[in-house]
Amino acid sequence: MKKSTIVAKNLTLGYATSNPKKAVLENLSFQLFENELTCLLGPNGVGKSTLIKAILGQLKPWSGELTLNEKNIQNFSNPELSKALSVVLSEPVLPGNMTVGQLVALGRIPHTGWTGRLAIHDRDLIENALYLTKTEVLKDERLSEISDGQRQKAMIARALAQDGKVMVLDEPTAHLDLVNRYQIMHLLRDIATKQQKSILVVTHDLEIALETADRLLLLSNTFPLVSGLPEDLVISGQLDRLLPGDEFRFNIEKGKIEQKNPTSQVVIVGNQVIGFWVRKALEKARINKLELPIFVMDGDFTLSYGAQEFHRIGALIDYLKITQKS
Amino acid sequence: MKNSRITILFIVACVAFMFSFLLNVSLGSVSIYPDEILEGLITGSWVKTSHAQIILNYRLPKAVVALLAGVGLSLSGLQMQTFFRNPLAGPFVLGISSGAGLGVALLMLAGSAFGISALSGGLSAWAIVGAGTLGAGLVMILVSLVAWRIQDSMTLLIVGLMFGSAVSAIVSVLSYFSGADALKLFTVWSMGSLGGLAWPQVVVLGTVVLVGIFPVILSVKSFNAMLLGERYAKSMGVNPTFLRWMMILSTGLLAGSITAFCGPIAFIGIAVPHLARIMWRTSDHRILFPASALLGAILLLLCDVAGQLPGSAQMLPINAVTSLVGAPIVIGLVLRRNFSKEF
Repeated sequence: MKKSTIVAKNLTLGYATSNPKKAVLENLSFQLFENELTCLLGPNGVGKSTLIKAILGQLKPWSGELTLNEKNIQNFSNPELSKALSVVLSEPVLPGNMTVGQLVALGRIPHTGWTGRLAIHDRDLIENALYLTKTEVLKDERLSEISDGQRQKAMIARALAQDGKVMVLDEPTAHLDLVNRYQIMHLLRDIATKQQKSILVVTHDLEIALETADRLLLLSNTFPLVSGLPEDLVISGQLDRLLPGDEFRFNIEKGKIEQKNPTSQVVIVGNQVIGFWVRKALEKARINKLELPIFVMDGDFTLSYGAQEFHRIGALIDYLKITQKS
Repeated sequence: MKNSRITILFIVACVAFMFSFLLNVSLGSVSIYPDEILEGLITGSWVKTSHAQIILNYRLPKAVVALLAGVGLSLSGLQMQTFFRNPLAGPFVLGISSGAGLGVALLMLAGSAFGISALSGGLSAWAIVGAGTLGAGLVMILVSLVAWRIQDSMTLLIVGLMFGSAVSAIVSVLSYFSGADALKLFTVWSMGSLGGLAWPQVVVLGTVVLVGIFPVILSVKSFNAMLLGERYAKSMGVNPTFLRWMMILSTGLLAGSITAFCGPIAFIGIAVPHLARIMWRTSDHRILFPASALLGAILLLLCDVAGQLPGSAQMLPINAVTSLVGAPIVIGLVLRRNFSKEF
């Protein structure tokens, strides 16, 4: 039996100042488990940040229950909560004079005395956090002199050094390049499994989340919260709930979101891989029907259509556009 | 290697501090050699009784005041800058100096503005200090009442600035209606002065400054957490509201008492924390607080030396000197290093 860390039961959240009183999130029930990476997905404005605030104990639920290790989060004192739960927020931090090592050491603040003096145990945990996030080499670098991806890893190391059971990360991969996005999510996955953490990541990266998460939480404006194994959600078609309207859909074969186009009826003969990309380019150019098939010739890359031959897809499309117009 | 660099800097700063303290005491309209001062202080026998008089009753209290003011203003400036996450914050952003100014202005100018000469008997130092303390205390209480109600620290900063402006406006109205003599007196006060205080006043100032340093020592760790912003600090178990009260208490005592005793001393509170950050190259408050305190004391002692115009009987107001001497130093350092990234 998996041990659950954060449990929400019929949780309703909202702000006291909003007028008229309107709940941001209603009747949420979900669980986070030990050793698991959970990704929370949902469109902007659906209340993801509100949920995070409630988990951090900064927002009192209107009704329902939110517990951490079977204790109501509202009953945690601030220092107690800081020992059980650490965060990486989406807001940027920049004390440029601070080194990565000092930043990670800040994670030990809840555990040290009033001077913040680090004991051997604290130093070990800091070293370990740097090691796990592969930031040891950056230890003496200043935060102003490292890249965004490195800084995000350092922030994760800081949260790790805080040594709570639960880690909550609010869009840790926003503004990062593709490689860093993959690296960070896989890093979090490793940490969850190897360090027995329970990690909740708010993200907009559906494809990376599908690949790395043990569990997905889907929030949307129109449907109640859905949670489950990513693959289950894919097969049951529930991922489409993330995509309001009819414009986009989740392509179950390719594992990614695409625009709903009339299905391409172009016939492409030859190398399937090249054919895939040719079809993709034609779809983008909104060419879904052709009188003749396209032949793909291997070796010296050549596309032939009727009597014409092309060495670039772009040239083919230009030609097709002109002929179709006339 | 890094730790030894920090230690060396502290040793250098301590030596520089002792040097500037001695320099401050020995230079003036009459130069007295440091060896003579040391001998006189230790053995109690002076070469000239006039020298004993100058050193013991005039220069020593002034140097101690410079030391206290330098330490206090730097510490409150550093607290404000970290708490508000704003490199332009200083000890006076919550309106303390304006409050003290109002108290003193009421004492010096109100009589004149209402046509009564309150100055005929001259003003005692205690009266000015009392008025300044009352004014600074009043503004601090008002700001605290507001701070009680609001959560956001930026709002507090704006409220503090607004209080400052409003209070300054009252002072302007008073100045507009007051006579030339009273106005001159007030203008001179507002330029700041380290001298003119006798030992009993110095002891009072010293006690208040010591008390004001206590909250700083208690909250060093919390200030480090605040570097990441209020939300992160909270997630690390720091209580920002408690820290805010500690900060208001500490800066109220430090900046309030110093302004009441010496007048508003510009520049030190804003610039010294930056100098400390640039020189020690750290953002750790366990290093920055003592470093700022040392640098503040050194800078104010040296500024006072420069303001003495050694060898002449003339004196410049301390406020003019701190800005004239300090501004070029800071501009130089800021241009040499990337300032905003250092913060």
